[in-house]
Order: sequence, then structure tokens, then C-alpha cells
Amino acid sequence: MAESEAEVPKAKPRPIVRLGIFLISHSCLFSVICCTAGVLTLLLLPVLAKNTYISENALMPGSANPMFSSQEVSEANRLVKSLTSLDSKPVGSGIESQRLIAEYMSDLGAEISYHKFYPRSNQFHPLHFFSYPDSGSTRENVSCISHGLNTVGIIRAPRGDGKEAIVLVTPYNSLKVGPGEALSLGIAYSVFSLLTQVTWLAKDIIWLVADSRYGEYAAVNAWLRDYHMPVFSGLSALKAEICPVSNVHNELKENSVTERKINDGFRRAGTMATALVIKVTDGSEHFEDSLSIYAEASNGQMPNLDLINIVNYLAVHRQGLRVKVEKMRSLINCKWLKILGEILQSLGHVAKSLNPQWKFGIPAKDYVEGAATLASSLYYQALGVPTGPHGAFRDYEIDAITMEISSRVALNNKARKNDFLLRGGRLIEGVIRTVNNLLEKFHQSFFLYLLTSPSKFVSVGVYMIAFALLVASLPVVAASLYADAHKVDPSFGIDKSTPQASATDELSITPRSCKWLNAAKKVFLVHLWGAVVSFLPYFICQIPSCTPTTSFVVWVLLSSFSLPILSLILGSSFSYGRPSQPQKRDWTLLKSVTISAAFIGLCLMSVINFATAEIGALLMVPMCLMAQPLKLDIRSRKLRKFLRVACNLALGFLGFPPAGFFVLKGAFEGFGGITVGDFWSWLESIWSWSSATYLYIAGWFERTRS
Amino acid sequence: MEPKEQSKEKKEKLWFWNWVIASVIFRLVLIYFPKNLNLASRPEVSTPLTSLRRLAEGYWLKQLSMSPYAGSMYHGSPLLLSLLGPLTVKRIEGQPDHLLCSLVFVIADIVNAMLIRATGQNLQMEYTRSLKLLDHVKLSEKPGKIIPSGDIAALVYLWNPFTIVACVGLSTSPIENLAIILSLYGACKRQAPLAAFGWVIATHLSLYPAILIIPMILLLGYGTDTPPRKLFLQRRNVEVGDNPPNDRCCEREEVVHRSEVPHVFSWRPVIHFFCWTSLWSVYVLVLCGISVKQYGGLWELFKRTYGFMLTVQDLSPNIGVLWYFFAEVFDFFRNFFLIVFHGNILFMMLPLAIRLKHRPCFLAFVYIAISSMLKSYPSVGDSALYLGLLGLFVNELADMQFSFFLFCGYVGVSLLSPVMHNLWIWRGTGNANFYFATAMAYACLQIILVVESVSAMLNHDRKLRKPLTELQDGKN
Repeated sequence: MAESEAEVPKAKPRPIVRLGIFLISHSCLFSVICCTAGVLTLLLLPVLAKNTYISENALMPGSANPMFSSQEVSEANRLVKSLTSLDSKPVGSGIESQRLIAEYMSDLGAEISYHKFYPRSNQFHPLHFFSYPDSGSTRENVSCISHGLNTVGIIRAPRGDGKEAIVLVTPYNSLKVGPGEALSLGIAYSVFSLLTQVTWLAKDIIWLVADSRYGEYAAVNAWLRDYHMPVFSGLSALKAEICPVSNVHNELKENSVTERKINDGFRRAGTMATALVIKVTDGSEHFEDSLSIYAEASNGQMPNLDLINIVNYLAVHRQGLRVKVEKMRSLINCKWLKILGEILQSLGHVAKSLNPQWKFGIPAKDYVEGAATLASSLYYQALGVPTGPHGAFRDYEIDAITMEISSRVALNNKARKNDFLLRGGRLIEGVIRTVNNLLEKFHQSFFLYLLTSPSKFVSVGVYMIAFALLVASLPVVAASLYADAHKVDPSFGIDKSTPQASATDELSITPRSCKWLNAAKKVFLVHLWGAVVSFLPYFICQIPSCTPTTSFVVWVLLSSFSLPILSLILGSSFSYGRPSQPQKRDWTLLKSVTISAAFIGLCLMSVINFATAEIGALLMVPMCLMAQPLKLDIRSRKLRKFLRVACNLALGFLGFPPAGFFVLKGAFEGFGGITVGDFWSWLESIWSWSSATYLYIAGWFERTRS
Repeated sequence: MEPKEQSKEKKEKLWFWNWVIASVIFRLVLIYFPKNLNLASRPEVSTPLTSLRRLAEGYWLKQLSMSPYAGSMYHGSPLLLSLLGPLTVKRIEGQPDHLLCSLVFVIADIVNAMLIRATGQNLQMEYTRSLKLLDHVKLSEKPGKIIPSGDIAALVYLWNPFTIVACVGLSTSPIENLAIILSLYGACKRQAPLAAFGWVIATHLSLYPAILIIPMILLLGYGTDTPPRKLFLQRRNVEVGDNPPNDRCCEREEVVHRSEVPHVFSWRPVIHFFCWTSLWSVYVLVLCGISVKQYGGLWELFKRTYGFMLTVQDLSPNIGVLWYFFAEVFDFFRNFFLIVFHGNILFMMLPLAIRLKHRPCFLAFVYIAISSMLKSYPSVGDSALYLGLLGLFVNELADMQFSFFLFCGYVGVSLLSPVMHNLWIWRGTGNANFYFATAMAYACLQIILVVESVSAMLNHDRKLRKPLTELQDGKN
């Protein structure tokens, strides 16, 4: 939009065109104002945050009295006790504990099935950008020796038609069941047992006991993949060929006499409306029992805000739990943030004294907390790595969160423990009952938002303003540079018509308005180089037996070699021995093209992953605007120019280390075999990083050239 | 001097062929990753009309001796079905599926590029000749000034990402483009049978090229693109103005000269063209009639192909704007808007034909661009065609405005559109409006491109006239 405005300098002077011309002629001032406004708006976001509200009327949270009673608590205690007693026994408890849980489930009359999965190593493949998350599943390399075993129990809803389901997930390590994990299993079991008796259930309930031996995420992801992609006989035969089916099922069946309903096949229960991941930690809290909500899925996706609202509402107003979301601890004690908060507070007071209707001031403490939460929200979204097993659900368009309930003291006291179980169970029952009311799926509330506290959020319409202000200067500056290059041009054209200049100047052959093609070629080359550099890790991964350090060195070497090779292939030379006038014009065009490329990239990124784009814009925009060729500046020795050079170098230095850091991290994660969790998120995050990286490179290159 | 120039020319030729071979290799490499690229299922690439998967389905139905049009899967021509159909079922062990079809498309692309190149050379010859006729010493003198537009256009066509994507993504648009380009080439070379064949096949395959009949007639009647005829007359006037100022004499002289002007409408090739057109169309109709005889005859064929195109029955998303519009519009307005949208293309034909009648090739480009913007199931293959043809006029359009803006816009939209599609379909955080927004932006870009290129072309004509009027003024 801004670009189209800015690019119309020569047409008839309509008001909008005149505005465009005005903006272009004052592009320097405009860009400075825009950038500052963008940063200021970003800092103001905690003030602009709105209170959350439950948008979907059908949900009606907390309208019914909880049915969860002490009877269910005793059930939970029973399971916890038998689990802990099992844990004290020697080896082989992996299958034992699974069987125990399955037994308990079948006693409740639920359908039970085991799901065997093989943990797969996350492989980065450059060509998978173009395919959908599921399509890469056919040619995985599975290691047959190790496998995990999920236990799945399904309650069929008395009022449902088996087309919709709600999922409860309790990740636990089957080799060593910790006290927290046992408690989370206990809570889930008690809720499950309650739900077998209720009459109001309209959606089936799936309880997934995820085997987190190979990571919580991997287990949930494997189950989801098999749930959504039915394996037909031909394929399963293929799989059997790869890995000889161990007789786990038979083993389990033989051993347990009581099991009546264990199915060999994979059980399904229709589309999932919601998934809740339940975890329990104990003893870490100082004040009261609290509930932490983790919501960030892969690549900065968030579940629908209504889900968080329900959980928050029920936890705070019904169960009296303290709800927390992730914060950046380091920011809370930050001095300048406190000062800023106080300034804003006093500003709010002034505004309130002027007009009592204006209520935008918030207390300084709230501001600092909000800013810290916002920062962590931005950080986790930008990183693109899910913060828990709920991330796997978002890839299948299922809203999911992780609820981590933690108690104030260690749960040794029995009465205390019962109370804790009661509150946790009631909370989960309430959430399930609310979601049970849902028609179809969550759609009413926001998907794109940032949290500043559990009950406050910044919606997409607000935070986009900050980004738009930050980025708006790019097209204007690009247009003004482009216009500048053409203003220089007529004099050049006159030169050309004189016989001496028109001799064999290669450039004069290209027509006037297509001069930018040359610059575009250069920018394209640099971006191509960036792409090659970011794809290289994949090929380096293939080299067997490589320590992270050596592969990193190989990577750096290869990437630095690839630029001259590319330039050789595409036949563009970088050293033009030209007089300064055309060089300057060339350079202006080059900068203009670079800035437009950066603009397009940032806008794309903001659609894909806002947080990455915002952080990228904060780094890139000043860099793009300040960039100047070093040589020209050094030649003219003035203080002002010198300052500019210093500024540029500092910005370049600032801009480069993050890229290096990110890339280094990416490299180590890739090579060291430490799986980030989600293949897709990893890929996407690498993608986002690399896009930022090669834009950096473009900026970097542009400055250092000539 | 001469051998040096020759070697330079040779080098340039070599350079051209290098790039052509590189583009072929690039395509072949991409063909080997069909699963990973997954281009064949992109809505931008394969529309209901051009998707090869649908064609394979149609062929399958035909093998089962059912109507290929049963079940609203296939909507293309029966000739294409019998031509490409056998290739879709043939598999080679260890090779990607549809390898043979992909190879056919690659060959079609190469032939397209060669035809564009030949057309460009033809156009360029005419261009320099007319410049000489107009005594534009400045322009025609410098050898480096005129860019080999044919080579440029061919390379633009071959290396355009849209073309590559359409070729690798298993859509039949390279074949449709081949028919269109063939007809243009035939008309430029004034070979009425070839032009008629191309036009009939293009119309048969995708209907919209039917409007190209006007540029065809102009091309065959007047010859290829030249500056306006008025200029030649003016030029003559200037020359004649040196003679004694006898008005009547002058007039007579002009009449004499006019007969010498090469740009008189000649009816013979046009009549030839019409004869051949009727012959070819009867031939095609007979072939079609034979192949669909047992499935409801020709009427069923027309209803399932042209009817499907004109009534916009399939509202699955594509890069055009019609699907969204007809998904939203009330049913009782539907017919009205169908007429409006298709009438839009027809309304623009006549004024453009009058204004640009001296440049029939450019007129054809404008028509193709407009129809690819307003057609019911547009794909990137159509854009690839008109962007390739745009390269033919690189000399004339050198001073086009907003070229950089257009370039950025095309890059931005073509990247944004898959992202929006992903947000809508796979992530569920966006909705149809997101995707439609990019389609609208794309349509706007195309409009700007057409408007700017036409105005640049007219400006170019004005610039050619300028020295002439100056000369005349000086005389007066």
C-alpha cells in the first residue's frame, strides 16, 4: 500500500500522489519518525493490552457445579499408590506400568489400545519446504531397536456420535515414574473415571498416556501422525518388513487375564476439538498453588484465545489457583523498564486528571510484568520451537495447551495432597465440560495474539501497528532512492549523447528505466548465496562421523567459497572500475533494490511468524536505512561522514552476531543430533533464521562492497 | 572490424544457446523431485482445466468405456486426452510418475521459446526497416542500441519462474501456449495455414484465444508491427513539401506514394486464413465428433468444456478473482455477472484494436494479458505466456514506467500467495479473504502492467513522430 503510494511521483498531481511526493522528498525525516514511532509503539503494547473475554457464547464456563468429589480423589490415590509401588520393583517396569494403567482403564469400561512408535531423528531436508507436514512420513529412517509404547483409552460419549473428541495427554516416563508424573496420571485417571459415569458427555474422551522415554513431543507427535494418516495393509506390510513386529501386544495380552477390551488396531474417535496436556510439579511455589499455561506451538502458532480464557477463568474464579504464563525474569529487574513504567504511570495520571474518561494508565509494576511476559511471548514465538507436547497438535489444527499444576509444598501431607488432587481434578473437569459445549471447533476468538498476562492480550490489529510503522519507512526510502537515481540520470543521458561518452559504455545500451535490472541481479545473487549457505548444513549433515566443530568449520569454508563460484557462474563481476558518478548512481539503485527486497521479505515473514518479523525488523530496518558504501565515505573526510561510518560499522557488528549466534545454534542442533522437537518447526525456524540471515548478508555485503 | 563483429555475434549466439540448455537441465532436475515439490497440487499451477491429474482421470474413465466427462473431473479437449492420455499411464521403473508427460511439456516449452525467438527476429527486422524508412538516423544507426528482442523474449520465457513452475507442475498450459504462439508465429510469417491451424487449436483447447482473431487478421493484412501509418504519410509529405506548392499536384503525388506504401490491407492472405480456418475447424470437429460419439456427441462436449469455462462451475480457489466473486454472489444474479465478466473482455477488444491496429503483435499481447486476467480459471502458465511476449517489445517499451514497482509486486505476490494459502488451508489461522487479497493484488498488478505497457507503446510512437514534426515545422 505504502509502496504504491510512494511509487507514483510522476503522474497527475492528485492529493494522494502529492502526499506520496511529499513523503518521498522528506524520506529521511519520515523514516526517522516512523522508526521511532514503531519502537515506541512496541514499548507501549503492554499498556494497550486488553482484558480477555470469552468470545464463544456456547462455552458457558463454570455454569455447572463440579461433580468431581472425594470419591474420585481416592481413585486417584489408588492409582498413584500402585504406580509408586510398581516403581520400587526391579527392571521391566516399562511394560508393567503400561499394563497397570491399561488395567485401570479397562476396569472403567473404556476401549483401550496400545500404540507402538519408533522415535525418528529429525532430518532437515531442503526440499520439504514445499511439501505439507505429513507428506515426508513415508521414507523415515526408523531405528528398530528402540520403540515407545503409548496407551490410549477412549470413552464413548453417551450423547455423541463418535465424530468429535477431547484429548487428555499425560506424558510420563515409563522407565522411571516420578512423583509428579504419578500425580498427573492420578488426576487424569480420576477425571477419566468420573467421565465414564456422567450423562452430559457429547464428545468422546481420549486419554493418551504418552511414553516420554524419547521426549514428550516425539511420543505425542507419533500418535497424532498415526491418528491422522491411516496406514493401509500394503504399507503396514512394508513397515513390518523394516522392523519385525515384536510381540508386545501378545505379551501384554497373555500376561493380563483381566483385559477384555484391548484392541490390536488403532482406535480413533473423530476430529479432536481440544487437547489438554496435564503435568504436575510440586514443591517449587512460595505462595499458593499455581497453574502455568504453555501455549506456543511450532513456528509461533498459538491456540485459540478462548481456550486459554476458559482455563484462566476456571482456575482463577472457581479453583482459586494462581495462573502464570512464561516471563522473562531478567527483564523484571530491569531499571530502564521500571523508569519507563513510572513515566507511563504518571502520564496516565495526568491524562486521568485532564479527562476522567481516559483510562490508559497502568501501574508501573504491572507494566514491567506485562513487558516481561510480552518479551517472552515474542521470544518463544520467534524461536518457533514449541514449548511442550501441545505443539504437535497445532500442526493438525487442533487447539492445545499444556497445564502445569504446581503445589505450594511438597505433597507429603495426605490431606494436602487430597485437596490438591481435588482442585486439579475439578479444574480439568470444568474445562472438559466447557469444551464439551462447543459446537464444531474454536473459531470465534483470536488466533494471532500476544499475551501480556494470563488475562490480558494484544491482538493482531494492535501489534501490527508497531510493525507497520517500523517497516513503513522502507518502501518510502526505496522509492526516494529510486527517484534520486533517475534524477541523476538526465545529466548522464546528456553526457551519453556527446560523442566521447557514448563510445563503448556497456551500460548505456540498457535502456534508462531498466537500469535497476543490474542492481536486481546483484541482489538476487546475494540472496541466492544466502539460500545456498542456509541449505549447506543439510549436505554437511550427510557426512558421517563429524563433530560439530569440524562440520561448522566446513560449513564456513564452503559458504565463503560458494559466493565467488556463484558469481562466476552467473557472470556478474563485482569490481567495476568506474568513475564516481555512475558508481554513486549504481549504488543508490542497489540500495533501493536491497531495501525493497528486505521490505518484501519482512512483510512475508510477518504473515508467517509475526514475532520473527518484528525482531528481524528491529535489527534490519536501521541497518538498511543507514547503509552507505564505505569507500565513498572514507574518501571524503568530514566528521559527519566519519560518524556515519562509525555508526554503520557498529550496526553491522550488532546485526551480525545475532545471525551468527542463531546460525551457530541451528548448526549445533542439527549436527549434534539434539532434536529440537518438531521437525517442521525446526525447519521453519531455520527457514526464518535463514531468511533473516541472508537479508543480513545482503545488507552486510552492500556496505562492505565498493 | 567485420570479423571481430562476427565473432562477437557468434559469442552472443553461443551465450543464448548456453542459457537455453541450462534451462532445460534445470527443468529436468526439478522433474526428478515431484513428490518434494508437490507443485502439481498447487492451485496456482493446476486449474480444473489444466491439471494433468484430471486428464489422467478422464483417460481412465475412457479406458473403462465411460464418458471422460463423467463426474465433472475432466474438462479439456478429447484430442488432448487421446494425445497425452496414453503417456499418463505409462510408467518407467525407478523413474518418477508422469515422466513422459513432463518431457512433452519440456519440449513444448523449448518449441515455444524457439517460436518466440523467430517471431522476435521477424519483428525486429521490420522495426529496423521501418526506422530506416522514417530516416531515424539516430535510432537505426547505432548497432548496439537495438537489443535482440527475440533472444531476450525467448530467455525471459524460458527462465520465468512461472513458466518453469507450470512446466514442472504437470499442467497442460505449455501445450495451450504452444498453440497460441504457433498461430502468432504463422501470422507473422504470413503463412495462413499455420496461423489458422494454431488459432483453431488454441481456441479448441482453451476458448479464450478466440479473440486473437483480430490481431491475426491485422497481422495477415498489414504485416507485422510498424510505427503508425500516418507517420509514413507525414514523412512523404515532408519530402513532397520540397516540391513546388501546388496542392493538387501534391495530393496526386500522395496518392501515388500511398500505393507504394507497403502497409495496405491485403485481402488475399486474410481470405486464405479464413478458408484454412474453416477447413481446420471442420477437421477438428470431425475428430472430436468421432472420439465422443458414444458419449453424448458434440453437444455434450461443448457443454462439458466451453460451458464449464463460461459458467464458472468450479469455485475452487485459484489466482483469479472469479471464484470468490461467484461464491459470494446471489444465485439469481449469477447469469448477469457471468455476462458482465465475459463481456468485459469483449468490450475492450474493439477500442484497443482501433488504437493499436498498426501493432498487431502488441495487440495480441494485450489481448492475452487481459484474457488471462479475466478468464475463469487462470493459472501462472497464462502469465508466463504474456510475460514472455512482453520481452518481444523490449526496445519499444524501454521507457516503461513503474517497471521496478511491477517487478517487486510480481515477486511479492507470487511469494505471498502460497503463504496465504497455507495459512488458510493448513494452519487454519487465516481464511479465504487472505488468499483472495493476494489474488486481487495480482489482478491489480496485471492491470497496471497492461495500462503502462500500452501507454509506453503510444509514447514510443509519439517519440517517433517528434523529429518528423520538427522537420515539418522547420520546413514551414
